[in-house]
Amino acid sequence: MRKFRKICRTLHRELGFLAVGLTLVYAISGIAVNHAHHWDANYSRTLEQFTIEAPGTGPTDLIKPLVMEQLAIEGPIKSTWRAAPDRFQIFQDGVEYDVNLVTGEVAQHGFARRSLFYDLNFMHLNSGKAPWTGIADVYAGILCVLSLTGIWLVRGGKGLKGRGGVMMALGVALPLIYAVVARAGG
Amino acid sequence: MRTISTLLTCALILACVSGAVAKDKVYGEGVTGTELVKVSDLLASPDDYIGKTVRVKGTAVGVCAHRGCWVTIAGDKEGETVRVKVKDGVIVFPADIKGDTLIAEGVWTANELTMEQTKKVCAAEAEKHGEEFDEDEVSSCMTLYQITGTGAVVVE
Repeated sequence: MRKFRKICRTLHRELGFLAVGLTLVYAISGIAVNHAHHWDANYSRTLEQFTIEAPGTGPTDLIKPLVMEQLAIEGPIKSTWRAAPDRFQIFQDGVEYDVNLVTGEVAQHGFARRSLFYDLNFMHLNSGKAPWTGIADVYAGILCVLSLTGIWLVRGGKGLKGRGGVMMALGVALPLIYAVVARAGG
Repeated sequence: MRTISTLLTCALILACVSGAVAKDKVYGEGVTGTELVKVSDLLASPDDYIGKTVRVKGTAVGVCAHRGCWVTIAGDKEGETVRVKVKDGVIVFPADIKGDTLIAEGVWTANELTMEQTKKVCAAEAEKHGEEFDEDEVSSCMTLYQITGTGAVVVE
């Protein structure tokens, strides 16, 4: 048993260090994703509204230069699109102009990737697929090893036979109770 | 044990770097063929393509803001678009894909809406365009056509 505990302790210590970075990635992103309906963790978005002289609903070849001249857009344009007879859109990196050709009202939508959260969520949601799938699988395996080896680290009243056992039972009971309640609620 | 730990760390870092470099502009399974269908042809006779694998090319003009689970592609005619819907989490289109030229592939599908669903869609469209909506004017159920997407590629 002593040898077994020593192996557990060594595994727990070494894999614990290895798991720090990934645990923070998944934990921080997990909170962000949980609250996605409150806050867009991937992008910061802005909206500015203003009015230009109404270009009218003529052919796109005619109204496009009129709109471009009035907006005086700086930087390269990715593309433009006549979404409807009365609606013209211009796309740039991080900016989208939505022009009402009848009223001249312009909605300027800006968006930028949140530097830290975008990357954390990209990893958490496995948006890039392979090779992250493999990394995430290995990490999940490491978590299993950490949780199982952790049980055997402490002996006595603070270990499995005492307070540790009660804490573990609570931790196991919580998801079980939730699963039962959730199923009962349909 | 330390050797194993060091090797695992190196492997993780290498995998991260290679993953960040590779496949930046390919989504899902990408595209498997070269033959394209015009959006105008799809919309002109949508029932002819149901169940068939199609590829369309056009500017990405709309994207799901919440989960990146769909993208709208502009057609060859003004005002015409098709929606490419992908499984949540399987493919994630980023918000900054808007304005890029995209080739998307998937199966052309028809979704028959119930009367209640049809009224909801019509109400949402009316609200979007600032128009008044009277649900009594809706007399028939709507069919929504879209591409159930398996992959896409951003082209220059």
